[in-house]
Amino acid sequence: MSRLRNVAVVAFAQAPVVARDEHRMATEMLYPQVRRALADCGVERSAIDYQVAGSADYIDGRPFGFVGALEVMGSWPPTQDLHLEMDAAFAAHYAWIRMQAGDCDTALVCGHGKVSEGEPRRILNLELDPYYQAPIGLDPLATAALQASAFMARTGTTDRRLAEIAARNRAAGARNPDVQVRSSASADELARTPWAVEPLRTGYVPPLGESAVALVLAAEGKAERMCDRPAWIHGTDQRIELQTLGARDLSRSPSARLAAERALAMAGATSAADVDLVELSAATPVEELILCEALGIDADRSSPALNPSGGPLVGHPLMMTGLIRLGEAFRQLAGRAGDHAVAGARRAIAHATNGHCLQQNLFWVLGTERRWT
Amino acid sequence: MAEPPVEPIKYVDALVRLPYHYVAGDCRARYLRALKDKKILGARCSQTGKVFVPPLVNSPESLAPTDELVEIADRGVVTTFCIVNIPVIGRALELPYVVASIALDGADISIHALVQECKPDEVRMGMRVEAVWKPDGEREGSHEDILHFRPTGEPDMPRDAFLNRL
Repeated sequence: MSRLRNVAVVAFAQAPVVARDEHRMATEMLYPQVRRALADCGVERSAIDYQVAGSADYIDGRPFGFVGALEVMGSWPPTQDLHLEMDAAFAAHYAWIRMQAGDCDTALVCGHGKVSEGEPRRILNLELDPYYQAPIGLDPLATAALQASAFMARTGTTDRRLAEIAARNRAAGARNPDVQVRSSASADELARTPWAVEPLRTGYVPPLGESAVALVLAAEGKAERMCDRPAWIHGTDQRIELQTLGARDLSRSPSARLAAERALAMAGATSAADVDLVELSAATPVEELILCEALGIDADRSSPALNPSGGPLVGHPLMMTGLIRLGEAFRQLAGRAGDHAVAGARRAIAHATNGHCLQQNLFWVLGTERRWT
Repeated sequence: MAEPPVEPIKYVDALVRLPYHYVAGDCRARYLRALKDKKILGARCSQTGKVFVPPLVNSPESLAPTDELVEIADRGVVTTFCIVNIPVIGRALELPYVVASIALDGADISIHALVQECKPDEVRMGMRVEAVWKPDGEREGSHEDILHFRPTGEPDMPRDAFLNRL
């Protein structure tokens, strides 16, 4: 791997995930996070070269709904701005690429959106093609259940196993003040919850929530001044699969496997098992198992720590879940993870996804030391 | 093997219905509630003192919080306007009509509103106008509580008095 520019996460701020914020619009939820992120790295808005956000206009319920966020991201004097109709982690990826091109040194990355104001299951049905898939009423729960069936049939994974994974995430989430579900639950309890869509139980799928997140990236030379313990990006890659669900083996994620391989290669790492923690955008225990398989790690081993934040099962704000994984990796490496800290964490993997059944996957490999010297 | 259909299917209709239920937000809720009492609220920037109406939680310009709500006048000055000669979907107004940017007294940015009770060609930049409210008992705490603005007959304001409040 040729030498790339060392870029680090230097600040992260997140509104606690809630089912519904009755008091603030999406942009009003975002504003305090922008202020916190800037204060966190000790700069004014004028120190940020570039801004980019991820959100979905269908969630906002208005075309070009994302432009509302410009008013709280500090867009005056006029700034260069980009918006992605994707999880905000992909916005961070875009900013990282801009930094590799060398035309900016610092970037503000935001995610926003209030699922409680619309009908997200209906909205996400529209992600599918309007001819064959959307009209039969598939939504993310249904497609996740199709994937779960396919995976369980191929691997012999049991309902009990899914309950155990969900219970581990619930226990972790009980230590994270930013998540929506803050109570732990035993595998026995979760295995008794009713079907959401069989074979997924209500205890295996997250409630949808809303939040607002802001993250700051900075290149070497500036990152050290903005953060005492930056989380350096060692490698990253993203891959996407076909939209037609029937054309994919839903029990596997070749895009996740390839993206993970490329990100690890960029990081100069031989195995995902060598990192201290992994934060996965797994909205079900099955997605977690599929992603572990793609990464080549064992979901049953205690190292690397899997979703020490509790993961999406305890807080799943659409369009932000992935950026929160990157933010969580930063918190762990920067020593800011509080009660859910993984002791002595030096390397982390963060993952984000878009689309149904892990259609698109993005991986980050991060570390406490610079990658390139 | 079956014959192909005589009439090919050329189109697929997809009826999309997506209801939304927007939270007003505490800041906007206070603004809307005040309209019911014929009051217009703005928010003052804690750093520059500029007053934004409708109120915002922060100044988009300075990025400082605008945490002080202030009452501003229901009258002001036309800063720019246009004369609409084509029908707009969802609006049954007699053509032509005037849509204007109006800088209310005490506000640093303009709102948009109709100017009526005069001929469209009488409207001009600098013209003084005032709000015409729905009668007492009919106001609901919505933007439609202000029916339109109308000329006050006061002398026009010089351009310098409003050029930075467009």
